[in-house]
Amino acid sequence: MNRVVITGMGWVTPMGHNIEGVWKRLLGGESGIARTTLFDAATFPTCISAQVKEDYRLEDFLGDLGPHAGAGRNTRFALGACAQAWKASGLDAAKLDMDRVGIYLGSGEGSLDFDAYSGAILSGWTAQSATMDMTRWAAVAFERMNAVRELEQEPNMPLSHLALLTGARGPALNCLTACAASTQAIGEAMEILRRGDADVMIGGGAHSMIHPLGVTGFIRLTALSTANEDPPRASRPFDAKRGGFVLGEGAGMVILETLQHAQKRGANILAEVVGYGSTADAFRITDQHPEGEGAIAAMTEALADAHLEPKDIGYINAHGTGTRENDGNETGAIKAVFGEHARKCAISSIKSMMGHLIAAAGAVELICCVLAIRDNILPPTMNLQNADPECDLDYVPNKARRAKVDVAMSNSFGFGGQNDTLIVRRFVG
Amino acid sequence: MARVVVTGIGIVSPLGVGSRAHWEALIDGKTGVRRVAAFDASGFACQIGGEVPAFKIGDFVPKSYRKATKVMARDIELAVVAADDAFKDSGLQSQAYTQTPNFDGRRFGCNIGAGLVSAELAELGAAMTTARSANDPNRLDLGQWGKDGMTQLTPLWLLKYLPNMLACHVTIIHQLKGPSNTITCADASSHLAIGEAFRTIQRGNAELAICGGAECKLSPMGLLRQTLLGRLNVSCNDDPGRAVRPFDADAAGTALGEGAGLLILEEYDRAKNRGAKIYAELVGFAASQDSYQVTQPDPSGRSYAKAIANALADAGLTAAEVDVIVPNGLGIASHDRAELAGLQTALGSAAATAPVSPIKAQTGSLAAGSGVEAATAVLALHHGKIPPAINTRKPLGGVKLNVSPQTRDAKIDVAVSSVYSLGGQNAALVFRKV
Repeated sequence: MNRVVITGMGWVTPMGHNIEGVWKRLLGGESGIARTTLFDAATFPTCISAQVKEDYRLEDFLGDLGPHAGAGRNTRFALGACAQAWKASGLDAAKLDMDRVGIYLGSGEGSLDFDAYSGAILSGWTAQSATMDMTRWAAVAFERMNAVRELEQEPNMPLSHLALLTGARGPALNCLTACAASTQAIGEAMEILRRGDADVMIGGGAHSMIHPLGVTGFIRLTALSTANEDPPRASRPFDAKRGGFVLGEGAGMVILETLQHAQKRGANILAEVVGYGSTADAFRITDQHPEGEGAIAAMTEALADAHLEPKDIGYINAHGTGTRENDGNETGAIKAVFGEHARKCAISSIKSMMGHLIAAAGAVELICCVLAIRDNILPPTMNLQNADPECDLDYVPNKARRAKVDVAMSNSFGFGGQNDTLIVRRFVG
Repeated sequence: MARVVVTGIGIVSPLGVGSRAHWEALIDGKTGVRRVAAFDASGFACQIGGEVPAFKIGDFVPKSYRKATKVMARDIELAVVAADDAFKDSGLQSQAYTQTPNFDGRRFGCNIGAGLVSAELAELGAAMTTARSANDPNRLDLGQWGKDGMTQLTPLWLLKYLPNMLACHVTIIHQLKGPSNTITCADASSHLAIGEAFRTIQRGNAELAICGGAECKLSPMGLLRQTLLGRLNVSCNDDPGRAVRPFDADAAGTALGEGAGLLILEEYDRAKNRGAKIYAELVGFAASQDSYQVTQPDPSGRSYAKAIANALADAGLTAAEVDVIVPNGLGIASHDRAELAGLQTALGSAAATAPVSPIKAQTGSLAAGSGVEAATAVLALHHGKIPPAINTRKPLGGVKLNVSPQTRDAKIDVAVSSVYSLGGQNAALVFRKV
């Protein structure tokens, strides 16, 4: 079985769009959360979010947009993140067998063309019969909707665009397992490399649900924080006064390679991916398993896969959404897996600063694990001021911490009971 | 590395609910492509598609789960029904049927491919109408929507439409706690999902998996999107059964369908030890990607060929050993030409001699539900019958294929099913008689 290493990373996040700048801001405890401006959310119960800022321009990464000019918002994030990661890896398509370069993303669907979509629905709605007149709907929909804009909503579009960008022709997949998607994608990409079906895999994810219906959906689920008055304090993972997550958007991409391929070309190896676990709660579509059964199984499986003991893990980048349910359950699951060591292991959630990037969250968080190992410093959990007896572990509160960490774990749990865990280790040859 | 066999098949297609109904109608040469009945399609140029015959979702879930069917989009229903069909076929007793299952749920994975799930327009209409703009009644007043309008939507509204909910409902109903994934690569989703599930069993992460995919693109938004892309046959509203003509000189566009095709994969020794009915062994899988255009397949079929060739190599088989191919066969001339080029590259002279069953002629294009095609390949192998090519009459571009308008008997040891997606993902699966 091949060993798998990371040789390039890139991201487009609410806190910026280059690796070092965002990392510095995360260590400084800054926030990417502010009033929502992508649409008029003033009357929405939640009117804050973590948007990718307007200074992100895809042209800065690609030059001419070419076939990507019509790309959706999520795909534009994916392209920028991938361009960074590819460049950082030093890979050169001209020197590669591109049939052996694959892509595995956990990307979300593209954003709806909301004006046209809602306009067509309102045009078709017939009050008298309380039904849709589909002829009227179709007339408006055909007039206002655009082929490319509609196609770009398909969840495989970021994948297809990255193939055009890089020329990758190897195995190409997208998995959309809600908030666990990009963690799962990187884990499965690793399995493809381990097995030898590719030499290089681009792994990661991209997502934006900051549009009226996306936000509506989460508000109706009562999943979002409504602390609109003080956006940087709204996301409070593991705090007693946590009240839901803050919706973010963005992309994270890593270049994964077999160790052999990376060493042969003298690549700069950033970390080794050593463990992956994936399970289903099979409990409820709305709730996590209250005892964290699936989360425990995913972490346990990842440890076994990595041939590691709980005591070997120095840092856990938690799913830590800031919802009442997740943070308590995740804490319980960590205790169940780690036993005594749970109290000694540093845990943090960058969602306190960056919000929840949904399908893209896991990839961005895995990148943080790699950077933590590289720089011997842990990003903090901001806004952790009120102790919750349910959440009584070491969450690196409010201030980054110097610590030598050789092995880090990243957790992602998705709606519907998807649990995925990755483990990365300092590369020591 | 564990050997993996197929021990259960679940199909919901325009040809029938249940794998038996699908198979019998398929080999009878019947068509599932008809005028759209689920909604008024008179405002569309294409008014035909493959709709699944009527079923009641409540009949396919345990009594205790009937309430949850309220939060199932059509795509989810299709997956849930196909999963029920597959379990009943497999002899595996899940918690949907018994208190004492005959498997360990923690070792049972689930990978159900899905597409972009369309929201029900009437449900949104009823909510949005409460927030019409005062100035323009056909515009939504976001202020009003945020304040009040959105409360008209059921709290669980979002969960009806998340693509991973197909797998989630299936894992909950049957209590499957192993690796769970949702591949969303349009028309290639099912085959990729089956391949990925295959790998989880091979490497020992699970000993069982239910896998494939489901989708309903035959919704107003689905029909609209495919119309905008110019992919549909708009000249066969009065002769729907003739609309989809894979690899035919008169190929004039495809038709949409809806459906679900799921396989239960099982580690070989486990299946043998419990005396399971073994349909076939899954012996090869490969995936690849075009790097050409988002909306058009690479005309050289290069990467598509690579997927098929690599899947055969994975299986340790040669092209000459292939006894039947269930190809993508979309019925769009430019796409079919690219696929033919790919088949010729991958199979060489066997491309002209191996029997081909392009079943979209009878089902329409099932998108992420194309697991129906993989399942059909397995059934062909199992029954020793080559399903017909009912609308392939004049070879496209003069490329001759081994097709017949009638079902043929044959000794089938090796069956291949291959697909490509709108977006350029390619995948191939190879099944062999045990």
